[in-house]
Amino acid sequence: MSAVDRLRRAPTAGLEFTNIVLTTDDAVTGATPREVVWTHRKTTLYRYRSSERSHAVPILLVFALINRPEIFDLRPGGSFVEYLLGEGFDVFLVDWGVPDEEDAEMGIEDYVCDELDWAVRETLRASGAEELTLMGWCIGATLCAMYCGLDRGDAPTSVRNLVLLTMPVVGRGSTYAAWVGDPDFDTEWVAEQWRVLPGRGVDFANKLLKPVTNFWTTYRKLAEGVLDGTARPEAYQPMAKWVADNPPFPGRAWSQWIRWMYQDDALPEGRVRLRGHIVDLRRIDQNLLVVTAGADHIAPRAGTMPIFDLVASEDVTHFDRPGGHIGLMAGSAARKQIWPEMSAWLAERSER
Amino acid sequence: MADTSDGASTPEDQIRALYGRAETEAAAALEKAISTPSFGRLLALGAENAAALTRIGWDLADLLLRNLRLAGRADITRLARQLNRTEDKLERVLQELEQLRDELARERAEAP
Repeated sequence: MSAVDRLRRAPTAGLEFTNIVLTTDDAVTGATPREVVWTHRKTTLYRYRSSERSHAVPILLVFALINRPEIFDLRPGGSFVEYLLGEGFDVFLVDWGVPDEEDAEMGIEDYVCDELDWAVRETLRASGAEELTLMGWCIGATLCAMYCGLDRGDAPTSVRNLVLLTMPVVGRGSTYAAWVGDPDFDTEWVAEQWRVLPGRGVDFANKLLKPVTNFWTTYRKLAEGVLDGTARPEAYQPMAKWVADNPPFPGRAWSQWIRWMYQDDALPEGRVRLRGHIVDLRRIDQNLLVVTAGADHIAPRAGTMPIFDLVASEDVTHFDRPGGHIGLMAGSAARKQIWPEMSAWLAERSER
Repeated sequence: MADTSDGASTPEDQIRALYGRAETEAAAALEKAISTPSFGRLLALGAENAAALTRIGWDLADLLLRNLRLAGRADITRLARQLNRTEDKLERVLQELEQLRDELARERAEAP
């Protein structure tokens, strides 16, 4: 396109760009039909409707506390949930909801020992299965690892397969640690003041990791795409809507997360205690799939790798693929690349 | 016009290439700046100040509402917490009940 053509198209493109940005909130996300199986406080367990279930072991999806779990079901045609259903899996999703001040006292132990434990229980009851696959992403993956590493005495867990997507294990050395790793930064005092950390604040901090890319380049590329006629609002808008939808982070859980991950390195060293029970990642003996992304700046690969030196699993698989923290699993290439690989891994381990 | 080292051949392409390089370098420089401990300290202090100011703001607003004999945010939070506790108890009772029902069903199935 010549400079004159671009100039002539600029006013229309300007309007189109503005329209895309202003109507982002109207984008459809989380459209796959589902039913509520169980609720407790703000937590909801969903089961996705399917008539093609062919694998015996259901999958329970767990996302982070700082964004909504709709990323698993981003848009029709670009939904991991939709893909798994098509592959014959029985899919459940735990949604932590949108916490408010009354949930300020919710700690990691409440999420792992109550909400997640009960969601596992309800998944097994609803599906009639004896075991399940636990699949966590980001903080959700760490919660799943904590759940499997929790000392339960001799009681066995019902988790057959554990899938950890872009999971932070060691926070030291990351940019987050440079920000909040100073022991003088009193997380408990901050949590007490905020009660629940505002979602926008957490989002701002995440975006600040790559300020030019997040605050400028994204919009510049969209504007150029509109000008060239190559923009794909149907792909841009659901992702932009999801990125901007940030629930508050309960103060207590946030404080524990910062302390254990970025100040103490408590998780890999087995110093995390949930209701008096030690979380020891060496207890993880499930079939384990760990997925890392080469360009992940939120949970860098180096912070995930120590998991391999800790777990007791005999069946360990590592997919290290190019992509970002979210883009790897929710980008346009995921459907042809990482999803089929994950589906094949799961299918081999999901029969009776 | 001869090609530049960036492969740009027209003035427009050259400007684009220059801009692209400037943006990449600015991104790298800013990412380096924000990953320093001093920026972290600045951010932490900013977060602490914002937290304190927010708390003071909410407390003032609640004080005003309470003096007007209206329910404030703190009152609603207190009520919601009570509801949470009740729901916790109900959930545990429900789980016990389900467990007992399962046990009963198992015993009945095993009985001759």
